[in-house]
Amino acid sequence: MAAEPPAPAATPVLELRHVAVAYDRVPAVEAVDGVVAAGQSVALIGPNGAGKSTLIRAVLGLVPVVSGSVTVLGRPPQAARRQVAYVPQADTLDAEFPVSALQAVLMGRYPRVGFVRRPGAADRQAAESALAAVGLAERASARFGTLSGGQRQRVLLARAIAQEPRLLLLDEPFTGVDALSQELLLTALRRLRGAGAAVVMATHDLGLAHLACDEVCLLNRHQIGFGPIGTTLTPERLRATYGGQALELRGDGVIVARP
Amino acid sequence: MTEVLLEPFRLPYMQRALLEVLLLGALAGVVGVFVVLRRLAFVSDALTHTIFPGVVIAHLLDRSLLLGALAFGVLTAVLLTGIGANRRVGADAALAILLTSFFSVGVVLVSRTRTYTADLTVFLFGRVLAVDRADLLQTLALALVVLGTLWALRKELVLRAFDPEGAAAMGYRTAALDLVLNLLIALVVVAAVKAVGTVLVVALIIVPAAAARLLADRVATTTALACALGALGGWLGLAASYEVSVDHGIRLASGATIVVVLVALFGLAAAAAPLRRRVGGGGVPR
Repeated sequence: MAAEPPAPAATPVLELRHVAVAYDRVPAVEAVDGVVAAGQSVALIGPNGAGKSTLIRAVLGLVPVVSGSVTVLGRPPQAARRQVAYVPQADTLDAEFPVSALQAVLMGRYPRVGFVRRPGAADRQAAESALAAVGLAERASARFGTLSGGQRQRVLLARAIAQEPRLLLLDEPFTGVDALSQELLLTALRRLRGAGAAVVMATHDLGLAHLACDEVCLLNRHQIGFGPIGTTLTPERLRATYGGQALELRGDGVIVARP
Repeated sequence: MTEVLLEPFRLPYMQRALLEVLLLGALAGVVGVFVVLRRLAFVSDALTHTIFPGVVIAHLLDRSLLLGALAFGVLTAVLLTGIGANRRVGADAALAILLTSFFSVGVVLVSRTRTYTADLTVFLFGRVLAVDRADLLQTLALALVVLGTLWALRKELVLRAFDPEGAAAMGYRTAALDLVLNLLIALVVVAAVKAVGTVLVVALIIVPAAAARLLADRVATTTALACALGALGGWLGLAASYEVSVDHGIRLASGATIVVVLVALFGLAAAAAPLRRRVGGGGVPR
């Protein structure tokens, strides 16, 4: 890691320039433009199938960008993976898998440890403190699958913290998460941002988007808006994003019916 | 009892057979853990069938069975990874196509030889009592290669099994890891051809690992247990088939007896698993 010079402060962490992503020539999401700076947090908001997960996969370099460009710390996504951590939805993982919470967190260190070698004391320490940062120090040796949904989500965030990322990508991190876990996730995210990491999260939850993020990117197959959450999240744009799922409340409020 | 378990192994050919099944049981048990964690049981079953024509062709050409099996193992592993990546075909259909077509080619080729039935039986079910020194050394060499590779990639293979998307996001080439695991399975099949045949080897891979999965909740303990159960099944099965065949005059095929013993061990594990959970090894229930 030390060999890589840090990107100049002026370089944004994530730069999306008219990005379009397609699967088998069928466009999944297009016309996405935006810049995310260090310490900023962006909520990707949109209905199911809007392209939120696809956009995250594009930033991870896991799906090809058909036009436009994705730049992470001034480099193409594939070249920046060491600086990027991804937090999947906990319930997509096998609950019967024989790993402890701590072992799952330690996996975040594997790219640094490299093949053949076993994680060292420093890696173990990083994993332990990451687990403590999400309030799970006491459950370190519990099997991943025996934890609650919220705790599992926290373990996966701890794994990302252990990667010491400069860009953190989360897919629906608050879905099916209890109130305590939600609070601890928000606290840990705030701390990461305080340390200079940028955060991008896909979410359905407008309330949590307000709590966790200062910027928003509204998506429904194309970008409907990108900017500060207070000024971008307007009733008009929400209606454009959610279509028939958006219900207007007396003038300036909008409720989005969960699909 | 000691007599039944130790007595047969005074004979040199039984000693070689014992060493062979201990090695194979341990090797297949360890590889099996990764197969079971990835839920690839069907893949290893397919591999065992697709290697069959390679063995037959090598036999017909009077070449090393190992080379023939290896060539077809590699071919299958590559084709599987390639065809399975096509979303329209899908991994399960790709498997079924490869399994049946390769296996048929093997049977067609064997049917052209004069000693058709005898040959077929040996390739399919092995003949562990005929294992010689060279076979043993070959198994040992293959075991070292396979276990060494698993050791080197253990972290990454476990991560890929647990969270494929996360592994890809960290920059791991999951397709390459998959190919490596498929090749390792192929090597185990190759190692086992002579002793248990191409069909029964899948039991050596899957059954001890599945039993260990029931009893352990860490990858390391699961692996140790699968290794021990595989070797134990090999030993008990071999002793049982000798005892019944020699002392009671009922001929029991050793390869198949080993598989039956392994399945019995799996049954015991399945019966013991709920007990172990109640004792408190399983942590807080979900």
